[in-house]
Amino acid sequence: MLLLVLTGCGDDPDALEEMTPESALGSQNAAPLERLLEPFDPPPLEELSQGATWIDRPVLDAVVSLREEQAAEPQLATPEEALALINDSVEANAKILSALGRVADEGQADLSASVNRHIPADVGSTNPILISSTAEFDVLGLTGFGLFSFDRRMEPFALADAVVSWQTSADGLLDKVVLRDDLVWSDGEPITAHDVSFTFQVIMDPRVPVPAVRSGTDQLKWVHAYDDQTLVFFHKQPFATNVWNINFPVLPKHVYEATWEDDPTLKDSSAHVKLEQQPVSGGPYEIVERTRGQQIVLRRRESWHTVNGEQVRDQPFFEEIRFRIIEDPNTSLLALKAGEIDEMILLPEQWTTQTVGDDFYERNTKATSLEWVSFHFGWNVSTPYFSDRRVRRAMSYAFDHERMLEKLCYGLYEPATGVFHKTSWMATRKKLEPYRQDLDAAENLLDEAGWIDHDNDGIRDKEINGRFVPFEFSILTSNQPLRVAICTLLQESLDRIGVRVNVRPVESTVLQQFTLEHKFEAYFGGWGTGTDPDTSENIWRTGAGRNFVNYSNPEVDQLYDEGRRELDRAKRAEKYSRIQEILYDDQPYTWLYWRNSFYGFSKDVRGYVFSPRGPYNYSPGFSSLWKPVQQ
Amino acid sequence: MSSDQTAPMTRSSSPSEAKGFWSEAWRRFRGRKLSMAALGFVLFLVLVATFAPAIAGTKPVVCKYKGTIYFPCLSYFDRSLEPVIFAKDRFRGTYPANLAEKDPESWAIWPLVFQDPYRSVRDNEWPGEPANPARDQGKPSRRNLFGTDQYGVDVFAKMVHGTTVALLVGFVSMGLAGTIGITVGATAGYFGGWVDMLASRLIEVVMCIPTLVLILALVAFVDQPSIWKTMAIIGLTGWTGIARLARAEFLRLRSSEFVMAARAAGAGPVRIMLRHILPNALAPVLVPITFGIASAILIESSLSFLGFGPPPPSVSWGSLLNDARSNLQMWWLVVFPGVAIFLTVLSYNLVGEGLQEATDPRLREARK
Repeated sequence: MLLLVLTGCGDDPDALEEMTPESALGSQNAAPLERLLEPFDPPPLEELSQGATWIDRPVLDAVVSLREEQAAEPQLATPEEALALINDSVEANAKILSALGRVADEGQADLSASVNRHIPADVGSTNPILISSTAEFDVLGLTGFGLFSFDRRMEPFALADAVVSWQTSADGLLDKVVLRDDLVWSDGEPITAHDVSFTFQVIMDPRVPVPAVRSGTDQLKWVHAYDDQTLVFFHKQPFATNVWNINFPVLPKHVYEATWEDDPTLKDSSAHVKLEQQPVSGGPYEIVERTRGQQIVLRRRESWHTVNGEQVRDQPFFEEIRFRIIEDPNTSLLALKAGEIDEMILLPEQWTTQTVGDDFYERNTKATSLEWVSFHFGWNVSTPYFSDRRVRRAMSYAFDHERMLEKLCYGLYEPATGVFHKTSWMATRKKLEPYRQDLDAAENLLDEAGWIDHDNDGIRDKEINGRFVPFEFSILTSNQPLRVAICTLLQESLDRIGVRVNVRPVESTVLQQFTLEHKFEAYFGGWGTGTDPDTSENIWRTGAGRNFVNYSNPEVDQLYDEGRRELDRAKRAEKYSRIQEILYDDQPYTWLYWRNSFYGFSKDVRGYVFSPRGPYNYSPGFSSLWKPVQQ
Repeated sequence: MSSDQTAPMTRSSSPSEAKGFWSEAWRRFRGRKLSMAALGFVLFLVLVATFAPAIAGTKPVVCKYKGTIYFPCLSYFDRSLEPVIFAKDRFRGTYPANLAEKDPESWAIWPLVFQDPYRSVRDNEWPGEPANPARDQGKPSRRNLFGTDQYGVDVFAKMVHGTTVALLVGFVSMGLAGTIGITVGATAGYFGGWVDMLASRLIEVVMCIPTLVLILALVAFVDQPSIWKTMAIIGLTGWTGIARLARAEFLRLRSSEFVMAARAAGAGPVRIMLRHILPNALAPVLVPITFGIASAILIESSLSFLGFGPPPPSVSWGSLLNDARSNLQMWWLVVFPGVAIFLTVLSYNLVGEGLQEATDPRLREARK
């Protein structure tokens, strides 16, 4: 299952796991025995049902709904035509996506096929509640068991593979789910509602170091299993975001019940070490082989689709999924060209210059799509340099945006103006102009803000607490060529107006630490999108964990509160639009660009459909990929 | 280079012959054509490094602006040397158009090649010339002699300005290593006994430290990495070979007649070491220093290649190779810096070899 973690993203696929989700901070900073969960005595089911009116929520089979949706879309080309295309234009890309991005109809897919996926880093853990990196999400999305997901428009639904019905009470305080009775773990034990309520207790135990999954789950008051199938989620508040909080991965209770109290790290004891190597799977695949730093092999799980000799669920399209771990993007491109892997994320320069010839198109094709991943310079507003809004605006005016987009990013990206992408429902309808380089405006703003070269050394300075402080600061960035080049361009731009910048490329872990501790003047970074605009709250609320730049605006805090309470989507959108407009005015970030997704695929692979979170991070995501039957 | 050079030399030189020894060595060195060519190449690099801003740059070498003569190109050496008037007049780093526009009376002498090592030249920045090509389109051409990198920065300009780093790394780190090595070796060799014992163990301990790994570890910790810190680390770990040779020489020479004479005349140990022994012990020590310069250049290039070089925008040859790594089809990013590194390292090695043969009597005799 996919979780609602806002991932920090990079130009490099491996940078996707750069930012720690906020709950990691929570677990580090929390006092060891702080109680996360208040004891709660759930009332009997009859009592609940008497008072409440239940509203039915969607229960869908993701692949089937996608197939139905696609049946209504016109197909712009046949697969043969699409495979012969060179993807060098918007039209060609649309044709490729339309023809090759279709999910398989009955009998089309080769169910004995295997696929080699590329991941840029090994997984840290195979325990579903310890996941935090994208690689872990990729693997555990296939081996883990969960009840909920969301589609490519980020509309939540319950998975028909696992759930019979899902209802929400009219007051918004309860969610009732009835599980299917034909679910089994890979060791043969049935999957029940008790597994879910048990997992909730484990996640909420402060002794368990849960890096990502706890954010959201901590908004729940209680999860109670009334019998093997019936499950009720109790919410603290009737928030619009409740629908995301009930989505968390599930542990097998019968396995962990005996072991987790002795070893709450879920990693150290010998029993847990063994489970780490041979985890009990609840999803459609199970891990059959794992070589650290090299590969992870998943095999389709018989007991997932066939229970008691009867097929109860559709078989997933691949018999075997092999995750190949290749860190270096150049090596992985060579592997793709040689047919050793079937898909990978392409870097902009790979897309533009290294995947245009026959050596690439012989075995592969490629596709691109919009992705809501934006990059920015973050200005630490608690430093004397950037506390003034005029200075931050001057920075945005001084930077050579056009050059960055055209030369450094190969003209592949569109400029960003704020936190929400303009095609999303929460984005403002006002037209926010992207900043363009205007050195006169920048110099005037700096003059106004008092940054003038008083001592004639070519560097602007300002008197702060009786001392002249020169305008010279460092910008942190992770050590990747494109990022360093963008920061160097900022340096060049600002150098022209008497502001000195030192570019400091550091390891991404070091960057993470410095930003979390607010020990920087400026940094270059990026954010992916969560499924709900509320997930950006921990970036902008005063004192929030990922508010690296120390931004604080009571109005924004207020709007986040209101947005969470508001259940009507149009009214919610107004709140978030307003936040976006305020942030645009304040420029705590200089927003730079939206990074699209670029993927190379083997010509054998079909069924890739892109969402604003890329081709895999939603439902069905990777499950819609297939290979055709060989003629 | 042998470090077990302990056998006493057959013709130990006495102080009065010292000057003759060096001119003799120089005569022999001159006789080796390859070494002379290599020395010439090193001197050529020194010239390139010294005059880099006049060879490639976008700032005038000399210009007259509003009645005063300025040297804006010096700011390539140190940014504070840029005349403030140009910042006040909002030149913003673009000289050709601004000079003409803001003072029609002005004149300027421009560098030989109008290209910048830190940024791509913009469209029409030099009247009538288009912007540099970027991506993988920047093949070597008339305007970009060695091509441009993927961001449109001229490779020739980068290499010319990178020469400074390449040379500095060699001289500074080996200067440091030489100082430490000779001091430790001299002390150990001259005093002997427990001092020698301690110093020798210290040398062995330092020898065990793999330089590259140490540097990689330090780069991760150091707050503000810079080329100077890299040089310091290379120097601080690279002195052991020099120290061993110096120790052997001092050990040999301390019991020679002229040292005894000096001691009898009442000279102190420091004076004896510096004035009497050192000039005679220098020749064998210079050889590993020369080879050390070559290896320091290689280490710096490897570091830059791995992405741990001097922070941007400083340029070094190794960082060009690093750019090439992800753009293999841009052959000019590999060939030019690669050849430059190869030639420089080769030159230093040839100079070192020449020096060795010119100063080591055993090798001279072996040739006869």
